[in-house]
Amino acid sequence: MTERNWHSHRDAKNARLSSALSLLDGKFAKTKDVVKVLETLIKPGDKVVLEGDNQKQASFLSAALTKVDPEKVHDLHMIMSSISRPEHLDIFDLGVASKMDFSFAGPQSTRVSQMIADGTMKVGDIHTYLELFGRLFIDLIPNVVLVAADKVDREGNLYTGFNTEETPTIVEAAAFHDGIVIVQANEVVDKLPRIDIPSGWVDVVIPADKPYQLEPLFTRDPQAITELQILMGMMAIRGIYEKHHVQTLNHGVGFNTSAIELLLPTYGEQLGLKGKICRNWELNPTPTLIPAIESGWVDSIHSFGGEVGMEKYIAARPDIFFVGKDGTMRSNRALGQVAGQYACDMFVGSTLQIDQWGNSSTVTHGRLSGFGGAPNMGSNPTGRRHSTPAWQSLKPDDDPLAKGQKLVVQMVQTFGSNKKPVFVDHLDAEEVRKEAKLANVPIMIYSEDTTHIVTEEGIAYLYKTDSMEERKAAIEAIAGVTPVGLRSDPKEVKKLREKGIVALPEDLGVRRQNAKRSLLAAQTMDDIVEWSHGLYNPPAKFRSWS
Amino acid sequence: MKCLWLFPGQGGQHSGMLEEVDSDLKKQVESWTNVKLLDSEEGYQDSQQIQLSILLLQVDQIDKLKCKGWKPDLVAGHSLGVFGAAYAADVIDKEDVFKLVSLRAKLMQNSYPSGYGMGVVVGLSRSEVADIVAKVHSKDEPVYLSNQNSELQNTLSGKISAIKESLQLAKENGASKVQLLRVPNPSHSPLMQKVAARLEKEVGPIALHQPQCIYLANNNGHPVKDVNDISYDLANNLIHPVFWETMINVALEYQPQVSIEFAPGTAFSKLLKAKTDQLSIITLQNMSVDDADYLLNKWKGKYND
Repeated sequence: MTERNWHSHRDAKNARLSSALSLLDGKFAKTKDVVKVLETLIKPGDKVVLEGDNQKQASFLSAALTKVDPEKVHDLHMIMSSISRPEHLDIFDLGVASKMDFSFAGPQSTRVSQMIADGTMKVGDIHTYLELFGRLFIDLIPNVVLVAADKVDREGNLYTGFNTEETPTIVEAAAFHDGIVIVQANEVVDKLPRIDIPSGWVDVVIPADKPYQLEPLFTRDPQAITELQILMGMMAIRGIYEKHHVQTLNHGVGFNTSAIELLLPTYGEQLGLKGKICRNWELNPTPTLIPAIESGWVDSIHSFGGEVGMEKYIAARPDIFFVGKDGTMRSNRALGQVAGQYACDMFVGSTLQIDQWGNSSTVTHGRLSGFGGAPNMGSNPTGRRHSTPAWQSLKPDDDPLAKGQKLVVQMVQTFGSNKKPVFVDHLDAEEVRKEAKLANVPIMIYSEDTTHIVTEEGIAYLYKTDSMEERKAAIEAIAGVTPVGLRSDPKEVKKLREKGIVALPEDLGVRRQNAKRSLLAAQTMDDIVEWSHGLYNPPAKFRSWS
Repeated sequence: MKCLWLFPGQGGQHSGMLEEVDSDLKKQVESWTNVKLLDSEEGYQDSQQIQLSILLLQVDQIDKLKCKGWKPDLVAGHSLGVFGAAYAADVIDKEDVFKLVSLRAKLMQNSYPSGYGMGVVVGLSRSEVADIVAKVHSKDEPVYLSNQNSELQNTLSGKISAIKESLQLAKENGASKVQLLRVPNPSHSPLMQKVAARLEKEVGPIALHQPQCIYLANNNGHPVKDVNDISYDLANNLIHPVFWETMINVALEYQPQVSIEFAPGTAFSKLLKAKTDQLSIITLQNMSVDDADYLLNKWKGKYND
């Protein structure tokens, strides 16, 4: 019996790199050779991670992947946290790739639906971010990873800085299991500001023809916040943040949470809550939090990714943000998701649909969008052990072995921007499961994890309900004039209010007529710039051209 | 700079709209089709006049833009607009496209002399309208869910009496607006099978070419790059709904920076504006090709860096 080769992966990697020697000078390849490099180093059927998250995109490498010869490179199994760019799908049309495992597909959700329906794309599964990152080390170990860096030095060390995001996680999965790490770099320099990823983990560096694509995804213009959102923000601050003593938290993307951020220095201050709530955050550096930071509300913020325009402000506030000696922030999506899931008292998010039982989803007909960070952070981590006042406050009192629970809050207006009811009997996702032949209904946040729902009508404290019937009644009570809400029985609502399961604005001491725009600490982008002492520099599309 | 070209169908025609059109081209079209184009209100009572005139207007604008060096990356035509789209994508030659549309208009005109047409429902989702149609539709009272113009604007096609009944039900079920359309055919429904079959025969022998850009297909909203898919769409889009909402969602996922809506009308640009603020929008209904050329040159620098 011949002895098994225990280093076949290493041999295969070395063979591939040897065959690319003529294209390489040390670790460096020429910009113009990118397609040849990919054709040489990637083999049919490879598992390939193409870095694309909801902000940073390895756009030079993804464009090059559409130009490889499908005779040489085909049937790739792509692993991507976010399907964001057209070429992420073009490679399926071209036959370069055939299978996809992903988390989020919002910007390409129509084409994803079509490609699944006509068989152009085979979907492994839809994941939460942490599941997908986790599988890179278990059963989706990549053969090749294609990532983006801001700067690289002559030895191949990488600086990813502000937008480090998931680059180290992806690189680690390949570098320590004989996968090939290919990096596009915006710039080659003699000395890096700091080393985010050491050169020993990197195989090939290609200077990009232009900087990687970056989206300012978390910037919300305060001018677009409505009085209804201000009302909901006031209710949430009184009925949830204050009531449960929420100190550690994550906010989803949206105007509802922006409104809350801008209400802390005004309404929150009036209530005497400074120092008592909202101290430690897992959050991208959203500009609308600047007034709260400047007024001394915030102790710390760790971030999944960066945000365009916040660079100088963050560099000047290292007590608050995670900043290297060089003065730039270091983000990390994988650790941020862990922190958001396990180390936070509360997640506040929004959704497109909530069903009669309290399940919610952003997947709708014809749009297989997948999910962002919500399913991880919007779930109760039953493995949690450490205690905080907020977590304890949800502990049922009738069980001697009971433990606390994560606060998972959905904030929605009863009708969406398309004037359709957000509250529905059945999620579109149920039909989508059948159409796309998925194993599970693509629910974003399950009813069992959802502890509160806030609408312009009031708050439903779902964690207090004893039965599914009571849970449904609580949802109906705050679902307004949607078909679900119209079933609500006034006598039942009265009982639910007495039991503290439903709270209307008057029950919380919130007066509708006080929900005015003047209550926002900043009402325009200019106000935010002023709060930042001129350190925040809004992206072009948020600047007014007066 | 990635550019999306949009081609409307019938509805926006008005007298005098051909005034700027190249007179040689107009004469050529009249000789190819044996139809004298009147460009008057009276003329636009006639389906052949409408369809040929709209196509002529669009082809003239396409030629002028291309002459200045502009090309589309994506084309989307609504109903009759597919012919302008296919011409812009270099799929079909000029003479062929006019002859084909001339015949299409004639066949449509003769297919349902009376009692059939289309209606529109605003404010209900497509699945809600589908439920209503399913209640009304029968062999004797046929009505079909047809075009998907936007998420909450869908059309019905069929027998007028069945459409009226469906519209009434839609209103009772919360539609914000219902209306019978001034269309004399149950277009974009299976009732147009005969016309489509005849057109299919006609398209067969025409030499079509591979498209030079992505073509958004009416019949399923997919982006297609194969001439056979486009050939099918040209002949058969009358028996399928126009999945405009899906076509536009897909087009936007290709991340164009500029859209140009060809005349007549500006309706599709309005729908686009409601969907995205990421596009620079040109409408040739109220802008000359020279002005469009000026803007495109100005934007080119901005988008190509």
